[in-house]
Amino acid sequence: MLHIIFGILIFALTLSVIMVRPYHVSEALAAAVGATLMLIGGYILPGEALQVLKGQWNIYGFFLGLMIISAVADQAGIFDILAAQTGRLAKGSALRLLLGVFLLGMIITAFLSNDATALILTPVVFAMVTRLRLPPLPFMFACTFIADTASFLLPVSNPINILFLDSFGGGLGVYLQHMLLPALFCISFNIALFLFLFRGDLRRKYKLKDLPSTEPPNRPFFRFTLFSLGVIAVAFVMASSFQIPLSLVALGGAVLLLTGGWRYGHLKWKRLRGEISWALFIFISGMFLVIRGIENLGLTKAFASVLMQLAGTNPLRSSLIVGISTALGANLINNVPMAIVATSTLRAMGVSSQAHLGLIYAAILGCDLGPNLTTVGSLATMLWLLILRRKGLEVSSVEYFKLGILVVPVMVAVGAILIGLGK
Amino acid sequence: MHVLCAIGKQGGSEMISRIREVIGSQHDLHLLHVVDSGPRRTMQEYLFGPGQLHRTPQPERVEPLEAAEHAAAEAAMEEARQEAEHAGFRVQTDIQPEIELGKPEQIIVRAAHLWGCQLIVIRASEGSEGRPKIGPQSVGHTARFVLDHSPCDVLLLREPLIDSSQR
Repeated sequence: MLHIIFGILIFALTLSVIMVRPYHVSEALAAAVGATLMLIGGYILPGEALQVLKGQWNIYGFFLGLMIISAVADQAGIFDILAAQTGRLAKGSALRLLLGVFLLGMIITAFLSNDATALILTPVVFAMVTRLRLPPLPFMFACTFIADTASFLLPVSNPINILFLDSFGGGLGVYLQHMLLPALFCISFNIALFLFLFRGDLRRKYKLKDLPSTEPPNRPFFRFTLFSLGVIAVAFVMASSFQIPLSLVALGGAVLLLTGGWRYGHLKWKRLRGEISWALFIFISGMFLVIRGIENLGLTKAFASVLMQLAGTNPLRSSLIVGISTALGANLINNVPMAIVATSTLRAMGVSSQAHLGLIYAAILGCDLGPNLTTVGSLATMLWLLILRRKGLEVSSVEYFKLGILVVPVMVAVGAILIGLGK
Repeated sequence: MHVLCAIGKQGGSEMISRIREVIGSQHDLHLLHVVDSGPRRTMQEYLFGPGQLHRTPQPERVEPLEAAEHAAAEAAMEEARQEAEHAGFRVQTDIQPEIELGKPEQIIVRAAHLWGCQLIVIRASEGSEGRPKIGPQSVGHTARFVLDHSPCDVLLLREPLIDSSQR
């Protein structure tokens, strides 16, 4: 009994430190310490731990490949040029510009994943609209929201999706059968609501002469990168269709772009190294082991049976319960550990890829959309930002939360219903 | 008379025209634009705050934000300055970066005090942000603060309800 209690304590403490980050402790350190304690406590054996980590090679490779692809594309000026072209096509209308930003964000998210949109496109768009003397926040929110809203359009659109599909399988056809309609609804709803909420700001005009240049810093490297990204996008779609591990495409694409960068002499290697979040790999690895520890204790099975009782046998109800609980969970803790918990719970529920596809996709929906509720998918972060607000800093993080409250519940509910109906 | 004109991101030249209509142009005009870096700081908190798993802040990602702010401020100020010189005002310009945790409204009031201004001119709100043209919601936070704390008279410019050609 004491053994079980200590195991639960390790799990709870790890999640608490990730949420609250006392003394600025990093999430990666918290996860690493939690995993170490699980090993020391015998909740997971060293051999088993190695097997768990080896089994996740696809997700590691996918993360690494995507980070490199996004970083090289950034240095080639892809995001800056595409944003500037969007500004030109909008012909001076803030309304058309916002629509263009949504469309650009959707395409980048679909093929380069949500991180590329959230972390690279957002500051590029922010700087551009600031130069255009437009209010920046509607455009910043458009980027950060579409990054999550469009992140279940394709399997490659969010690394979280790979976590689920690695556990349960499923090709592109089946994925789109379940997710295309919910994705299109969520994207349309997101755009429509923002156009309504920011209608006052969108009456403004801007001057085309204030737009940044559309001349890339290195034209041959830019063309090479743009062409390569097209090839990578097609390869992602084909790999999804034939259930080829997406990490192979991501890493292959990364090698292609790095080779081009070296050939054209354009890459800043120090900056590239800084763009890769090595702490992310430690964080994910730690979480895999912590959750395997509680899985060995039978806790995910217990949680699964509670969930099954709540969900019942009605497909609509079960989709809703799973979608809502994963969305909320993604806000209590980061959406990556939530996805790991969800896959573990679904396995414990005896979910097979054929019989309960709706639950798998409802969980993907919740984990992908949940972060829209707060700035970075954690209520603890919200608390931190509110504290900063009291010190006089910008309150737009609270506005983000208000936007999230309007947008996320409807999207999760309707999306989960559409998935449930699609079973 | 020393007049402080609080220039926003847009509409500076229209403001100068309205000021000339109301008080004439035989005055010393101090043009002030305060760079509100709140949105940029929010962006930086989003990019580098908790939840981003310690991605190293890259100067290449932060510098363009600051440069964009300054470029926009220069452009707004230049438009207003050209209109003011054309109208015959004696012009002094200043772009104030937001100081630490200061707010634009506080900087405007402080500047009016420092420069010994007899009049502050400010718009009711920064353009059409969905605010009504009259009523309690028609005056934005910055203008409201200046009205309440100004050391001198304040001229509040509203969005015109009546087309001036029909007056």
